[in-house]
Amino acid sequence: MNRESNRIKDASKKRVLDDDTRTRRLKKALGALEVDNYHDDPHADLVMSKKVPKFSDSFETRGTRKKKGKGPDYYKQRYRKSFSQLVEEDRHFHPEPPNYTSAEAPPSSFPPRHFCAVCGFFSNYTCVCCGTRYCSVKCLGIHVDTRCQKWTA
Amino acid sequence: MSNVYVIDNGAYSIKIEHAEKTEPRIIPNCIMKAKSEKRRAFIGNQIDECRDASGLFYILGFQKGYLINWEAQKTVWDYVFSDQCCKVNFKDSSVIVTEPYFNFSSIQEAMTEIFFEEYECHSLLRINPGDLSAHHYSTTYTKVICCLVVDSGYSFTHIIPYINGKKYKKGIIRIDVGGKLLTNHLKEVISYRQLHVMDETYVINQVKEDVCYVSCDFNKDMIISQKKGKENTIAQNYVLPDYTTVRRGYALPTDQSGQTDNQHLQLSNERFTVTELLLHPSDVGIKQMGISEAIVASVNSCPQETHSYLYNNIVLTGGNMKFAGIEKRIYMEVRSYVPEEYDVSIHLPSDPVTYVWQGGVQLSRSSNFYSHLVTKEQYEEEGTQICYVKFDV
Repeated sequence: MNRESNRIKDASKKRVLDDDTRTRRLKKALGALEVDNYHDDPHADLVMSKKVPKFSDSFETRGTRKKKGKGPDYYKQRYRKSFSQLVEEDRHFHPEPPNYTSAEAPPSSFPPRHFCAVCGFFSNYTCVCCGTRYCSVKCLGIHVDTRCQKWTA
Repeated sequence: MSNVYVIDNGAYSIKIEHAEKTEPRIIPNCIMKAKSEKRRAFIGNQIDECRDASGLFYILGFQKGYLINWEAQKTVWDYVFSDQCCKVNFKDSSVIVTEPYFNFSSIQEAMTEIFFEEYECHSLLRINPGDLSAHHYSTTYTKVICCLVVDSGYSFTHIIPYINGKKYKKGIIRIDVGGKLLTNHLKEVISYRQLHVMDETYVINQVKEDVCYVSCDFNKDMIISQKKGKENTIAQNYVLPDYTTVRRGYALPTDQSGQTDNQHLQLSNERFTVTELLLHPSDVGIKQMGISEAIVASVNSCPQETHSYLYNNIVLTGGNMKFAGIEKRIYMEVRSYVPEEYDVSIHLPSDPVTYVWQGGVQLSRSSNFYSHLVTKEQYEEEGTQICYVKFDV
């Protein structure tokens, strides 16, 4: 009679994510921490008619063109550079440190701490499939049921 | 008679007011769109008029701490400088405006152009927020010659050493952890563990500000937060706003826990593990050192003879320094990393958010203030080049 646990027996059948996929997942998770909005613009489906009078317009300013005030659209056109373009440009113009790139904090000299992805307490174990940390069989169960292979990496 | 406006143009909030005043106005530096109000967007502090702030959509001028979306920033500035909000008169005034460390050249040029040509201010000073903090600190403690500014804002955290009032650029360290990342992390954790709140940045940011704190004994707090019932002194229920009866979320007093009909969150270790990212970015896999370690690394990159002064004059600024316990925690960690012969002392201003603005006011009152400025005539004569010479950013 084989007394091996079911969990270990099944483990070999599962798809194990390679290191590349794991790094990609981590990158994606970190990218998600940088976004301003998770959802889409709630006003995106609104269709604005140009004929509708704008309520902010007062009677004095309507019709008469303002001498200055280029409006936000002008600045959108005038200065359109993405963040990565700016970093690239900076690397070109200020190649010698100190600059934006050189100011980044180096890695910590301490080993990273590990927390259970489910409950948040200290974790001693790693999911064999995807490398996520967990602390107990209960948390592993929740992890396998919800996130383990379900993210599209 | 000095006529100066100080603008601390943060990624999340603008701190602006005439230098005669004692306190700045704090205005959100973003445009927000609400699900409930389809006819308009809310610019800056107009959000106070919004009755239902659930599912707010943010449009921010700043990305990763730098001004990228000029359309959004211009809209907010136009509103803030208008009669509806601050009613500024830049024509005969000097303007002090802050910008991030190592700001990119094209952003610097754009800022200068907008303030001179669009807002037509009389004279301008662009400066790093840390310079103003260091100035503030040196006017409070006049004998001090060096200080180390920790500036932890919405997008990132910087450690900046100042030696004889001058920024030591080689020692500047940037940690890519700021208030936005903390809020997003808290959002993610709550959404996975109990309630889907990924769309509720505004509400969860309030949760973060209301109940999160920095632990001074992390392992002990972890054990306490794992306990059940009354023994768990960290557990905290937080009532979420429903925007009909509850206008703003609040932490439920511990003696009434569990006695609410409103939708609420149960927070335990989330209260202090989220802020832990400031001190250990590696907890979520960011390969950077935390604040305390970066303080030591920054000081070590400065000349040996300044070390004792820098460790003795650490100034904490920025919104993240409002978390309870952070001063004590940073002190404990830095103390444990630094040799015994150095004294470590940390200064936490009474309001770390407006400290920079106050520094700007003091700078505008100093005798050599006008030598820092670039006037409109100079700009028209010599173009953006003179700004590179005069402004040290």
